[in-house]
Amino acid sequence: MAITTDTPTDERASATDEGQTPRKQRRSAANVWFGVIAWVVGIAFFFPVFWMVLTSFKTEADAYTPTPKLFFQPTLEQYEGVFSSGLGPYIANSVAATVLSTIFVLLLGVPAAFALSLRPVKKTSDVLFFFISTKMLPVVAAIVPIYVVVNQIGMLDNIWTLIILYTGMNLPIAVWMMRSFFLEVPGELLEQASIDGAPLWRTLREIVLPIISPGIFATALICVIFAWNEFFFAVNLTAANAGTVPVFLVGFITSEGLYWAQLSAAATIAALPVVLAGWVAQNKLVQGLSFGAVK
Amino acid sequence: MIDRAEGWRRRAPLLPALVFTIIVTQIPFILTLFYSLQSWNLVRPGSQEFVWFANYVDVFTDSQFRQVAINTVVMTLGSVLIAVVLGLLLALLLNRQFVGRGVVRTLLITPFLITPVAAALLWRTVLLDPTLGLVNFVLSPFGASGTEWISQFPLASVMAALVWQWTPFMMLLLLAGLQSQPSDQLEAARVDGASAWSVFRELTLPHLRRFIELGVVLGTIYLVNTFDTVYMMTQGGPGVASANLPFYIYQRAFLGFDIGQSAAMGVVVVIITLIAASFALRLLFRSFSGEEELT
Amino acid sequence: MAEVVFDEASRIYTPGAKPAVDRLSLTVADGDLVVLVGPSGSGKSTALRMLAGLEPIDAGSVRINGRDVVDVQPKDRDIAMVFQNYALYPSKTVAENMAFPLKMRGMEKEERGRRVRQAAEMLGLTEYLDRKPKALSGGQRQRVAMGRAIVREPQVFLMDEPLSNLDAKMRVQTRAQIAEMQNRLAVSTVYVTHDQVEAMTMGDKVAVLADGKLQQYATPPELYDRPANAFVAGFIGSPAMNLLELPRSSSGVTLGGIEIPLTREVTDAAGSRDKLTVGIRPEDWVLESTDADAASVVKAVVDVVEELGSESYLYAHLAEDTATTIVVRGPGRVKVRFGDPIAVRPTAEALHVFDVESGERLD
Ligand SMILES: Nc1ncnc2c1ncn2[C@@H]1O[C@H](COP(=O)(O)OP(=O)(O)O)[C@@H](O)[C@H]1O
Ligand SMILES: [Mg+2]
Repeated sequence: MAITTDTPTDERASATDEGQTPRKQRRSAANVWFGVIAWVVGIAFFFPVFWMVLTSFKTEADAYTPTPKLFFQPTLEQYEGVFSSGLGPYIANSVAATVLSTIFVLLLGVPAAFALSLRPVKKTSDVLFFFISTKMLPVVAAIVPIYVVVNQIGMLDNIWTLIILYTGMNLPIAVWMMRSFFLEVPGELLEQASIDGAPLWRTLREIVLPIISPGIFATALICVIFAWNEFFFAVNLTAANAGTVPVFLVGFITSEGLYWAQLSAAATIAALPVVLAGWVAQNKLVQGLSFGAVK
Repeated sequence: MIDRAEGWRRRAPLLPALVFTIIVTQIPFILTLFYSLQSWNLVRPGSQEFVWFANYVDVFTDSQFRQVAINTVVMTLGSVLIAVVLGLLLALLLNRQFVGRGVVRTLLITPFLITPVAAALLWRTVLLDPTLGLVNFVLSPFGASGTEWISQFPLASVMAALVWQWTPFMMLLLLAGLQSQPSDQLEAARVDGASAWSVFRELTLPHLRRFIELGVVLGTIYLVNTFDTVYMMTQGGPGVASANLPFYIYQRAFLGFDIGQSAAMGVVVVIITLIAASFALRLLFRSFSGEEELT
Repeated sequence: MAEVVFDEASRIYTPGAKPAVDRLSLTVADGDLVVLVGPSGSGKSTALRMLAGLEPIDAGSVRINGRDVVDVQPKDRDIAMVFQNYALYPSKTVAENMAFPLKMRGMEKEERGRRVRQAAEMLGLTEYLDRKPKALSGGQRQRVAMGRAIVREPQVFLMDEPLSNLDAKMRVQTRAQIAEMQNRLAVSTVYVTHDQVEAMTMGDKVAVLADGKLQQYATPPELYDRPANAFVAGFIGSPAMNLLELPRSSSGVTLGGIEIPLTREVTDAAGSRDKLTVGIRPEDWVLESTDADAASVVKAVVDVVEELGSESYLYAHLAEDTATTIVVRGPGRVKVRFGDPIAVRPTAEALHVFDVESGERLD
């Protein structure tokens, strides 16, 4: 640093003298302003969501007003409408695809991440490179043959098709994330375990997994978000039988036309599980999404 | 040293994930390559024949395809960069102490969690509707009422929705980056008499660099595959004004049933993406495995 | 009960590079506590880990009780190790941590409990048995790690800088405890540290390592009194021995204008060398009055005085040759200050003489 230490002290002293307001108070005043700005921006970002939820409790008549209505007689009629139009099976499909694919990702991904971190195999970085590069390949380029193959083996509109594809979609990212969590396990612990005579699987289960379980949880959460929200495979490969909630949303609109209130109710239901999960686990979410680069 | 048996023992946990990923993600690409050399339209059964590079010739002489490719670049990079800049500003804001910081953060991350299909619907109707939408209502004092956002500015409308969804992600990542900056560094700089701006430029930004890189890479991976938002908001229209490659290929394959053509486009997309990705991957690798090379 | 033998054992991390441990040979007698000491990077940890089975032995062999363990897994070597950061399992309680190695060996629950309680009592950990490591102080964690090693009743204890994460006072206390316990249990122990005070106070024998090579393997008094080379001479003792490169004179060497006689053995061993490295410990100077006969004392000027209460150390440079600095031990309430002249005389019998090039001891 080129600046000497005594200059700022002088400046600070004179600033305090002339500026009347003591430094501390001034700083907290600035913070209040930043706080106000942050609140305004936060509310602005959230407002569309808020409005969606609000609209979902309106009658269609209340939803279509030239001056948007903030106060109205709330009704559950839209939610009833959505459920009576057969949302149930779609939710079941979404839950099945999300939960099962996430379980498969963990079953395949935890051992792989372990092999790529704590007991590195040869060519580790090549394998990692391969995994991440599959994420770089756009799925659109694969959809045609996937459609053709799935069609030929009679798996169109079958939930297992989505489960397998979602597993493939999330596995590479999950391996990357979990590897970075594994790398945080101190090597001494594994050495201690090997001196203690613990076999590999016990070391993993009793010592490593408890340490990295927050990381695994974060990874699972991210897989859940991406699987639940996935649309491209779902819309192209499923229909009435295996359709997921996003597919329902689309079908719902095309069959019913655009009724805002009802549509808001459907969108709220579609978004709710992931939003709640994300709210509850926001810290973990960051940790996972940054490949563990931050705590 | 690691003998052969030990080598396999170490590799074993990796193999299931590796094999699965190869099957699910690589075989479709090989098939894509194969189909791209054929003339094959699903609506004309038995039309399958080998035509070598005819499909590619068509792709490159297709002016719509070029337009769509440009749209894809603009949509992807534009959204990512805007989201990173906004995300950085928000992260700096949230990195300060103020009342209700946790709540504001929760509000801010919500758009990222909303199912993209639902988000797109929300934008298309409640927000951007020319007569009843909130945006025009808010802007009406400025004389902007009646703007047909979706048909007049289709690409910008889609990007607005994408930015709205991805800014929270960037904000979370960069906030975590800011909070991982060692406070003694900042204190040392303060003692050295650095101004807030030079602290930001000389310490904070370099520290954030790898988080910014990570955000750009991850954002690009996901946004280049954007399908749901385009599908729900504009259907690529008017014309192909807001179509991106995923949507265009989808149209060719599932509305035009032209397997050969869409496969050829897929291959072109893969090649373009690979070029871009190898650049992005290098960034990613430099940030995350440079320190602990394992081979 | 075990004897540990390193026999020309080497570890080469990267082929072609300098070995991290270079043909190390030493024998740890049954029940002894042997300290491996040396500066950071000298290969102490590597040597210990070779014994533990955590590093392969690239050449030579390591034997425990006569059995070559080169191809034996760590768990089958019957050793217990205490790591620098203790390596406590964070998800397990103190009791579970200590019981884990026993459980892995298929010991029955009652016996496990008995041994854990016994060790806990010995280490004063009884009331913490149900806590997780997170909820313990540094000293307590250290003791849990010790306990986990003790309950095993292994053939050999291995410890890699087990005290380096403790504060100074705890370190001195624990040092004594470990030495006492090792004595009582009479289990052969290899103890790694970079701190020569630890080495000198704890070791039955001490192995000094530098650059992966064994410099000397001896008891602490031997090491202090007859360092095998200039490196050991400079490493052992605090403040360090004064090592001065001095020209030969007819019957000895010259320092600061005076002649220092050397013993017969040394002059014989020195042969025709015209320069020698002469080591003088700070306590082997005699402080003389400044107006003493100029031919028998070395004149110096004080730079720094370190008052330790019972004694003091004077850091000074020679009046004649200002580039040469020496450390002299003085009495507790020494009167001299910065810039004062002093006159000192080395005790001739206590000199250590080394070859200038190789650093080997001459005599
Ligand atoms: N895993 C490793 N790979 C390569 N070199 C290593 C490794 N571990 C230690 N070394 C090198 O071996 C030498 C001895 O290291 P170490 O035994 O840890 O020293 P000490 O414990 O005495 O400080 C050092 O030069 C160190 O850089
Ligand atoms: Mg060490």
